[in-house]
Amino acid sequence: MFSIDVETDGRAVMVGRLDASQAATAQQALDRTQGDVTVDCSALEYLSSAGLGVLLKTQKRLMAAKGGLRLVGVNRALQEIFTYSGFDKIFQIVPAA
Amino acid sequence: MSAEPQNLEPAIATDAASPYATLPPTAFEQVLEVTRLLAAPFDLATMLATVTAAARHVLHAERCSVWLHDATTDEMVLEIASDMTRVRIPFGHGLVGACARSRERINVPDCYADPRFDRETDRRSGFRTRCILSLPLIGHDGELVGVMQLLNRTDGVFDAADERLAVVLAAQCAMALQRARMTDALIEGEQMRQQLALARLVQTSTLPATMPVLPGYDCFGLSRPAEATGGDTFDLALIDQGLLVVLGDATGHGIAPALSVTQMHGMLRMAFRLGADLETIFVELNNLLGERIADDRFITAFIGVLDPATHVLRYISGGQGPILHRHAADGRVSRHRPDTFPLGAMPMTERCAASTLVFEPGDALLLLSDGLAEAHDAVGDVFGSDRVDALIAAHGDGPMAALGQALLDALQAFVGASPQDDDITLVLVKREAARGQQRAFERRVDALAHLFSFTAEAIPVEHRELAGTIDFVLEELFTNVVKYGAGRAPVLVTIRSIENGVEVTLDEPEAEPFDLADAPDVDIDLPIEQREPGGLGLHLIRKLVDAVTCTYDPQSRHNRITFRKTHLQPSTPLDA
Repeated sequence: MFSIDVETDGRAVMVGRLDASQAATAQQALDRTQGDVTVDCSALEYLSSAGLGVLLKTQKRLMAAKGGLRLVGVNRALQEIFTYSGFDKIFQIVPAA
Repeated sequence: MSAEPQNLEPAIATDAASPYATLPPTAFEQVLEVTRLLAAPFDLATMLATVTAAARHVLHAERCSVWLHDATTDEMVLEIASDMTRVRIPFGHGLVGACARSRERINVPDCYADPRFDRETDRRSGFRTRCILSLPLIGHDGELVGVMQLLNRTDGVFDAADERLAVVLAAQCAMALQRARMTDALIEGEQMRQQLALARLVQTSTLPATMPVLPGYDCFGLSRPAEATGGDTFDLALIDQGLLVVLGDATGHGIAPALSVTQMHGMLRMAFRLGADLETIFVELNNLLGERIADDRFITAFIGVLDPATHVLRYISGGQGPILHRHAADGRVSRHRPDTFPLGAMPMTERCAASTLVFEPGDALLLLSDGLAEAHDAVGDVFGSDRVDALIAAHGDGPMAALGQALLDALQAFVGASPQDDDITLVLVKREAARGQQRAFERRVDALAHLFSFTAEAIPVEHRELAGTIDFVLEELFTNVVKYGAGRAPVLVTIRSIENGVEVTLDEPEAEPFDLADAPDVDIDLPIEQREPGGLGLHLIRKLVDAVTCTYDPQSRHNRITFRKTHLQPSTPLDA
């Protein structure tokens, strides 16, 4: 299961498993964001390369308007994915406390 | 009500045996004609045009529209109306929605008097709707396919006879529609299958057919595409600069990623052939690919060049990781992170610095696409990096083809019949362990002469000055075995080159437990009368060599002593 909520202050909360089957849902939601966007990943359990693609596309769009994604509450397993895919060089990543 | 003709009896038939019997002959013939037309293998659009034209004609309607139910969005989509562009409305909206929801035909003689009628459609089209006959289109499996609407009977309103005729037409239309949809899906599936087969062919045609032969190195590369092609590629090729080592993995499945990696493969070989340097190539490749691929796509790629003379591999990894380096000396595996983000993910404005990896004798570089560790079995458990690590530990010393096969065999045993979701690609490069020379010696003191002639032969010229120390240490160890060893089997001595020196191994079968490290140090400062004979040899060995290890295997009763002597440690005069 996967869900994404974009709150009125622009903060997005992702919950569950973001795999290829959920990428379109995530993309639709993130397409509505503007400026500097914080994505709460504390309840995000899994992220596939399709999920990385969604984040990448969003980051490109936001950066073109001087904004960007900030991923917070990133668990250890996700941190490994970001690190071993080199995406830690593209997003600002704040590990889970 | 159902649109199946056999269920229409109460509405249209008095003769239960033939529901069509009461239809006016001309209308009946017309329905038969429509049925005959619809039996031809149409695509959806032609089929809709045929059925709506027939319905308009038979029922004297000014217009006929067919709304199809889009289950994915739960909308009704207007597929055909003589002069209107495609319209989508939410399920349940307007008269179409009322008909779809109730699955009953609805005959409205005066639309503007019916609150369910949506006047917006008229306003947009400029058409004035007076009366509408709406019929649900229900497929053979009971699923709602859509709604057919007949608008404005040319000479008044639709009556009960029109309704009966329309129901028969609608039943034919529903079945033909469903068949057309299935045909379209089949054609789409077949086109997809052909596209994937082509993608796979394109992708695999660029992979090296044979492994390059590089003296002193053992190379193995393999890519096993998934059912629905992924986007892996690899390269192992001899170029002017050395050995080109590449592993690439484009996101997604199908023809686009296959073409992306194939393009990358070609660009790389060309760029290196033109003499460009790794850093420049990486940036240019990144920016070229970035312009061509979709915003959410990228290619993780390891690109490296090994100089076989210096054993230094220079590489840049864009998101391809971990990079595994197995150290032959102790079996340890270092995991390196990628240097930067994947190719094509973001534009690069400056050169990315390359990393280096030094191959010591026996060391291996192991690049594995994520399809391996992430492969799952029937219950969803993943193969995982622990299994990969264990296989590397077990087979890392052997030929790379054997390690590759062991990885694939273990994976196959793990996943069983589960389909392969992602491409699996392995690129394994090992520097051969320095080939040592080995000889067996009888356990006799007079074998020492043979031992010394062996060392003279086996120690390479550049390490000749270490020979005296090596002979001293070997003699000490060998005579210990002759004097104290209980076994009879010959003793094996192996001499191999290492960085800056020589490594010597003495294998003693049928040995008693023995550990050099436990041997007490001799206190050479003791007054002569307190000194016991013996032990000085072991003491000296520890001083003379760089490192000495002793392993005893109680199962095979095999004792192995290995020592290394390099130029880094100043030689102690042997007459000390």
